[in-house]
Amino acid sequence: MKEILTIDLELCTGCRNCELACSVAHTQSFNPKRSRIQILKDEVRNLIVPMVCLQCEKPLCQEACPNGAIVENEHGILFVKEEICIGCMNCVTACIYGGIAIDPQNKKAVKCDLCNGDPACVKACDYGAISVASIKPEGLHQRRKAVSPAFQTLGIQIEEGQE
Amino acid sequence: MTFPYKGYAGHYLEVDLTKGVVQKKEMEKEWARLYLGGSGVSSKILWERTTAETDPLSPDNVVVVGTGPLTGAMFSPSGRMMFAARGPLTGVWAESHVGGFMGPEIKYAGFDFVIMSGRSKKPVYLFLRDGKAELLDASHLWGQETDTTTKMIREDHKDPSIETAVIGPAGENQVLYSGIIVDFYRAAGRAGLGAVLGSKNMKGIAASGSLGLEAYDMEKYLEANAQEMEKLKDPLWKDSLASLRKYGTTDLVAIINEIGRLPTKNHWTGFYEDADDIGPEIIAEKYRIAQEACHGCAVGCKYIIRVKGGNYPTEPIGGPEYETLMAFGSNCMNNDIESIFHMGKRCDLLGLDTISCGKTISFAMELYEKGIWTKEDTDGLDLTWGNVEAQVELVEKIAKREGVGKILSNGVRKAAEQIGGDAWKYAIHVKGLEASGQDPRAHQSIGLTYATNVRGADHLRSISCIEELGYPKIAGDRFSPEKADAILEIMSPKHKGEVVWDMEDLYALVDSAVICKYATMWPPVFYYDTFVNVIPALTGMEEWGNPKYVRLAGQRISHLRRAFNHRLGVTRKDENLPPRLLSEPMPTGPSKGGLPDLDEMLDEYYEFRGCDRDTGYPKEAKLKELQLDFVVDELKPKGLTR
Repeated sequence: MKEILTIDLELCTGCRNCELACSVAHTQSFNPKRSRIQILKDEVRNLIVPMVCLQCEKPLCQEACPNGAIVENEHGILFVKEEICIGCMNCVTACIYGGIAIDPQNKKAVKCDLCNGDPACVKACDYGAISVASIKPEGLHQRRKAVSPAFQTLGIQIEEGQE
Repeated sequence: MTFPYKGYAGHYLEVDLTKGVVQKKEMEKEWARLYLGGSGVSSKILWERTTAETDPLSPDNVVVVGTGPLTGAMFSPSGRMMFAARGPLTGVWAESHVGGFMGPEIKYAGFDFVIMSGRSKKPVYLFLRDGKAELLDASHLWGQETDTTTKMIREDHKDPSIETAVIGPAGENQVLYSGIIVDFYRAAGRAGLGAVLGSKNMKGIAASGSLGLEAYDMEKYLEANAQEMEKLKDPLWKDSLASLRKYGTTDLVAIINEIGRLPTKNHWTGFYEDADDIGPEIIAEKYRIAQEACHGCAVGCKYIIRVKGGNYPTEPIGGPEYETLMAFGSNCMNNDIESIFHMGKRCDLLGLDTISCGKTISFAMELYEKGIWTKEDTDGLDLTWGNVEAQVELVEKIAKREGVGKILSNGVRKAAEQIGGDAWKYAIHVKGLEASGQDPRAHQSIGLTYATNVRGADHLRSISCIEELGYPKIAGDRFSPEKADAILEIMSPKHKGEVVWDMEDLYALVDSAVICKYATMWPPVFYYDTFVNVIPALTGMEEWGNPKYVRLAGQRISHLRRAFNHRLGVTRKDENLPPRLLSEPMPTGPSKGGLPDLDEMLDEYYEFRGCDRDTGYPKEAKLKELQLDFVVDELKPKGLTR
């Protein structure tokens, strides 16, 4: 069963410990800019927007990759094969959710691979804001509900839609 | 030889503002080994680069911007950094610490320290990115408030991830207690370091970095880190952490008023009848909209408020801490919480220390009450206790150094000297620094802390919460079960010299690591063993795995900072308390009648510190034990050692 990350903005304090944990898990260093999860902040509006791969059913990033570097791992989760990626940024342009980015050091694409089912960010969040959910409708609903405070801050109306 | 230790960025910057030259240098091995970072390394740098003649606001003064090995290294709470210089408000050692995200960003940009000297011809700011540093023109930023400054810098570089530490108009105008503001609403407020930057035409620092930090032994470090986090999660601290997360430091208004230690009416008493109006519950219920945390912090004491309608509406801003509620609230007899939010916000935007600013205003209010000042002295303002409009007006005047604000912008000690007469009686300070939100007449050991703190009357160098909040197990474990009862007796001076000595060295390490007082001071979780546990695994400095070495390092830092002050003329007579806190018994409230036994505590403190009782000067043997021979070389010929 494919899984997704949900981030509850009511609980998120913007401390960025998830970024630190992710960078340690993937780069063996403390380097938030190399993290697969990014916490964007607008202090003036008290807005926190976590950016992480949504694990799309029809992944635009994969489709856009000219080299076939974005492939499934044994858990069925897409990840970037570093040795194949040419850093062309097509995937970054294609993803409309900001879920894939270029690593500032090795200039290759990076995205969340859910740490083989045991995400480092989930364990590192002392506020319990990040959790793993199933890709079933309940999980998708949970994910959307969790980020609704940001929509309220931005004045965006969300309609109950299909999930 | 290359700098061998991990956890550090590995480089520091020499910034000569007069010449406009920035030099990148490799970190000094001995700085890390002997002084760890932050406050410790700053004391070494300032000892070497300033003298007894250095005018704090001249180009000769040196500002150190510091981080520590734990800054940004995923140790909770480690999003911190510090600034140090010879202080313009006090004339002695000045350091101020701040949380947020700037400290880690400086390290990710490749630097552990920045040393600034000289004076720029035109306004500049320092920009750091990925191992590179440059001085950029700040003409367009000069005069701007701190939030606008940060927004403009981000806009200039088209990079919203840039973090900043900047001064506001108050710093530019060299208000002697202007601070440095980080990330919109966090402040390195105390001791006037903003004025030192202002005197150098230095608007601040901006950083964005992707270089990252390594650990010497990542696996071992993460394990040590997890062990320390387990300590924090001990059920013993459940209530403290729950309180910090729900209320932040505002809970202290209620807790401290209950023990009769909440400075009220310019420190006249320690009990404020209207404390509920400015306390935790009303803030949490009516104004608080979100919780916040500094970089990688599991405590999360920061909070965001919004005020709709009324005289002082505001969009989301960082809520005031306990000290701000006390300084503009109880201490000015002001129970209008929305006005306190407003003044806290204005201080952040103007770049003012809320403690010194509030305390200077309460000083002015008392002069007005006593008839020492009349409306002729106050630009026509009615400074009756609790007059909110006058208070708000004074904040603006102080930042601009305008009218009555000119004299008040010098802080209570200098203002009292200028006013003359009995004004000095109402100037509540030590070494020129306005007292923070405690009172030794209700808490003996804080009297010793105020007196001995190298930067003046402030709790953050050695406050003991053990007896304040009551932690019997900690008292027994750290000192001895036999001493625990006396230590826990808040109005007993017994063993308090030892307790404050022990805390001062612990905080010296905390301030050098650089981590937060929350989780070290309150709740008192992390102790010397924490450094023994995490520093070697992170840095590879094996000697830091030896508990005795770690203790001595704390002592070394404490002594070097004290020596810095001795060189400037500080002796036992300056390690004193203002007359009101020393000899006017607490007039009302739960601690009525209380007075500190300062001399008794001071004698014991000097004994433990390795200092002479009569003068407070260090003993030569002690300095040598701490490898501070260079201090002996300089102080001994002047007769400043024993």
